Amino acid sequence: MAGVDVGGGGGKRKSLDSDVNMIPFIDLLLVTIAFLLITAVWSHMARLNADAQVPGTPRPDVEQEKVEPEKQLHIEMRSTDKFVLIWKQGGTTVNSIDVPRPPDSKAITKEGPVDLVRYPELAEKIGTEWKANGQHQNATDKKLDQCILHTDNKTEYKFIIAVIDAVYQVKRDMTLGGKTEKVPAFNVTFAVN
Amino acid sequence: MAIHQPGRVLMHHVPLKFVQEKATGHGKRAVAANLSLTSMIDFLLVTVIFLLMSFSASGELPVSQGVTLPKAENVMDMLDAPVVAVNGSQILVDGTPAGNTRSIEETDRLQRIDELFNLLKAKKELWKQTHPGKDFPAVVILQVDQNVKAVVVKSVFQTSAFAGYLNVSFMVGNIPRAGGGAQ
Repeated sequence: MAGVDVGGGGGKRKSLDSDVNMIPFIDLLLVTIAFLLITAVWSHMARLNADAQVPGTPRPDVEQEKVEPEKQLHIEMRSTDKFVLIWKQGGTTVNSIDVPRPPDSKAITKEGPVDLVRYPELAEKIGTEWKANGQHQNATDKKLDQCILHTDNKTEYKFIIAVIDAVYQVKRDMTLGGKTEKVPAFNVTFAVN
Repeated sequence: MAIHQPGRVLMHHVPLKFVQEKATGHGKRAVAANLSLTSMIDFLLVTVIFLLMSFSASGELPVSQGVTLPKAENVMDMLDAPVVAVNGSQILVDGTPAGNTRSIEETDRLQRIDELFNLLKAKKELWKQTHPGKDFPAVVILQVDQNVKAVVVKSVFQTSAFAGYLNVSFMVGNIPRAGGGAQ
């Protein structure tokens, strides 16, 4: 048994040598290990957020405020060999660039049953475009720039996720409650057409 | 010089019986063995610290059968919300069937899925009844198989939005980043 020696004792006084009982300590450690092993999570799931902008019912009785439309980034992923990044303000196209899209065989890496798709070049280009055209770059600005994804009906979900992941790679500072943290620069939604 | 059988030669000159027994290899093993508590406690402490560091308080959502989730890097932590699972043929809301994907794929047109819409709407009403006076979070999590076609994903996305769930999250596997995990 382990003990702690705190100096000599004598006479009829209580001994200054006291033992620390290790058994409850070891019991506690074992119970903690058992609890943590049972509740352990080894596969980590996460989420990618998207915003569903659904227009409300038109209200003819309420006068609509005229607000200048914001610039929005449209990503066209219908073509098999390129992505098209288009900045639009209302119906006007402000800027458009093409980003080469790697063939699927190059973009996909097999990870067991999962086909991992990555577009690092697209992410880099979106970052450059946002720095040049993004409207909400100030840390005190609570709004995010809007990104609209255009895809054809046949595209598989894993490619959509890869593009959303590339969009969310672009980060900006945002001050919330006196604390500045990194948040995605864009809010992603789908085009209905 | 005589030839001797090889054997142990060390400590043979010590005239003590127990030393001779040890030297010739005939000593008995002690019946009671000591367990070193220090190393055992060290091991237990290291195990507890490792498990505590890998502990996740947010828990885990089970992935539906037949769904292989894609992976992403720039992700957020999971939250508690209704889960719409879409595998190769079925749509499920928290395990309850809410339509099938075949008809959407065959028509190849974006459409509102009525069963899904009704189930999500009912869930929304139930939440409002059980949480009176609170703002509805309007969050739904889509658990979609990696090979499902975009027309199905967009139909489910739009149906969720029409049912009042404007914050749609896509559940993915997390690729750990060099600088840390989920935000």
